[in-house]
Amino acid sequence: MDDAILQLNDVRTHFPIQQGFLFRRQVGTVKAVDGVNLALKRGEVLGLVGESGCGKSTLARTIMQLVPTTGGTVVLEGRNLTACSVDEMTVVRRDLQMVFQDPYASLNPRMTVFAALAEPLLVHGVCKGDEVVARVTELMKTVGLAPRFMQKYPHEFSGGQRQRIAIARALALRPKIIIADEPVSALDVSIQAQILNLLSQLVRKMGLSLVFIAHDLSVVRHISDRVAVMYLGKIVELGPAADVIDHPQHPYTRALVSAIPTANPDAERSRQRIVLAGDPPSPINPPAGCAFHPRCPHAQEKCKVAFPPLVPSGSREVACIRLGEI
Amino acid sequence: MPALLSRIIRDPLTQKKLRRFTQIKRGYWSFLILMVFAALACVAELLVHNRALIVSYEGKWHFPTYGAIHTGRDFGLDYDYEVKYRELHDHFRAEGRGNWVLLPPVPYSAIENSYPGETFRPRAPDWRKGHYLGTDQINRDILARLLYGFRNALLFASCFILLTYVIGITLGCLMGYFGGWFDLLVQRIIEIWSNIPFLFVVIIVASVIPAGIGMNLWILLGIVVLFSWTSMTYYMRSVTYREKARDYVHAAQVLGAGTGRIIFRHIMPNILSTIVTFIPFTVSGAISALTSLDFLGFGLPPPTPSWGELLRQGTSNLNAPWIVASAFTALTVVLTLVTFVGEAIREAFDPKKFTTYQ
Repeated sequence: MDDAILQLNDVRTHFPIQQGFLFRRQVGTVKAVDGVNLALKRGEVLGLVGESGCGKSTLARTIMQLVPTTGGTVVLEGRNLTACSVDEMTVVRRDLQMVFQDPYASLNPRMTVFAALAEPLLVHGVCKGDEVVARVTELMKTVGLAPRFMQKYPHEFSGGQRQRIAIARALALRPKIIIADEPVSALDVSIQAQILNLLSQLVRKMGLSLVFIAHDLSVVRHISDRVAVMYLGKIVELGPAADVIDHPQHPYTRALVSAIPTANPDAERSRQRIVLAGDPPSPINPPAGCAFHPRCPHAQEKCKVAFPPLVPSGSREVACIRLGEI
Repeated sequence: MPALLSRIIRDPLTQKKLRRFTQIKRGYWSFLILMVFAALACVAELLVHNRALIVSYEGKWHFPTYGAIHTGRDFGLDYDYEVKYRELHDHFRAEGRGNWVLLPPVPYSAIENSYPGETFRPRAPDWRKGHYLGTDQINRDILARLLYGFRNALLFASCFILLTYVIGITLGCLMGYFGGWFDLLVQRIIEIWSNIPFLFVVIIVASVIPAGIGMNLWILLGIVVLFSWTSMTYYMRSVTYREKARDYVHAAQVLGAGTGRIIFRHIMPNILSTIVTFIPFTVSGAISALTSLDFLGFGLPPPTPSWGELLRQGTSNLNAPWIVASAFTALTVVLTLVTFVGEAIREAFDPKKFTTYQ
């Protein structure tokens, strides 16, 4: 894939669980991300969906190298990030930025907007003196904030405005890729739309590639070109947003899509909800074979044998061995 | 560091806390009174000393308080040692030749026998002679000893805070930030270290210091600091752990900020404002520690003025109640004021009143 800007090859992020006082021994592993293969194309918006605890955020943090990778490679324009030194990583971060979920937590409460936006510029020595002020002004305008608020502190802003500041901070270094980890789920619905529009606008204007993480499928459908559905650390379905969400193929995606409420009351009444039995299994001790089989309405004995690989199915890839039968 | 402090002070959250502090009347007034006391202690030489403020001799003015030492000959007397300004004052007045001496309000020094040639015994307050609180058992002015003792205690307390906080904050922050084996190792060392009995060490060190050097404020400070920095590390360690897990630290990492920048520009400003609440209690702890060491006789060597030494004299001379009364009152008043300030700061900085995070 030549047009891929970011490539994940069999990425695994496991967290050891340790026990014992003096001699700590490992008693288990949380397999938060377990063998993810994904390619992000230039200028593409890739939606990443899945329920809470399925490893979406860990995958984001893995890409950002905020957590150590257990295995696999994260390749950004030919450079393997998992093998980068701290100094090399600092250079890479110019191209790879992140927007966090909670704008109340991701902005330092003791830094003015100016200080927060100037920090990346100063850390990377991009510009100095008056240029910094000019660039910060420009950034604030880009995300729709009045530059006169420059000397204000985060607590003086609303949630939506704070998220705009966080987005401006991520844009400061003119990155090629932005990873947005549930950027709207901490916001009111009315504000969500504004932030989503801002993001898709920026993607188009600046030619950014965006990984958009969410658990809200309608939001993802609105913004993404392609969608990846994650379940228990693995990707189970990947394809164009409209195809995946309008005609889901993997049983898990179907259940997920059936949970989207519709605004039309008639359609809402006739909506067939697929209710999954039980809770998502523990990532400490995932079920053998397809991780979804204990909850899957179509599960058979053969599903318990091995995890099905992602196989092409029309415009998309699906990880289900019974795909043709159901 | 100054940049860090000025950022913390300019910060609106800090400003809000300071405003709240000034609204808590008891604590605010205690703070002002303490500041007045501290200011008085800083200029103690102008208020209580046996050197004159101004000597006008044959048309020329001299300022012996902070100037050079003048011998008797400089002012027409017949001795080569330092001028006795109280006598000079009386002498000039008797001469009536236009020379004059302006003495401080209390013209006695803290280490001077103010009844030379007479027997050593505590003397009751004598307003006419300027001994407003009387003298101790070797004829030294008690007010002078209280004021200079307070100055020593303040100096001790400020240096104590500076040193213990610098060590404790740095180490605690590093432990919390890096965690892992470094944290474990330093924690165990601290546990072992804090189990060494402090008083024994003071006694041992005091007995092995060569006579030529002798115990002094700095050695004592060193020993006390050596055994007191540990408590701050626990607090700093845990709050750094907490702050480190917050998203704004991750955001800074993502931006490419280095470890030093993250600790000093991101984590520290969020922690340091809470440390202010500890300062008054550390001050009262330091003053009490110095006083009790002096009381036990392991503190500052004589003739250094100190409250503990005055208390000891007072308890062994209960027939001269002005000694113990003044030392006790001074100690109680200062410690109470410090505690009031501490309570007010604690209330003003109470995170429940306004949250930094929502």
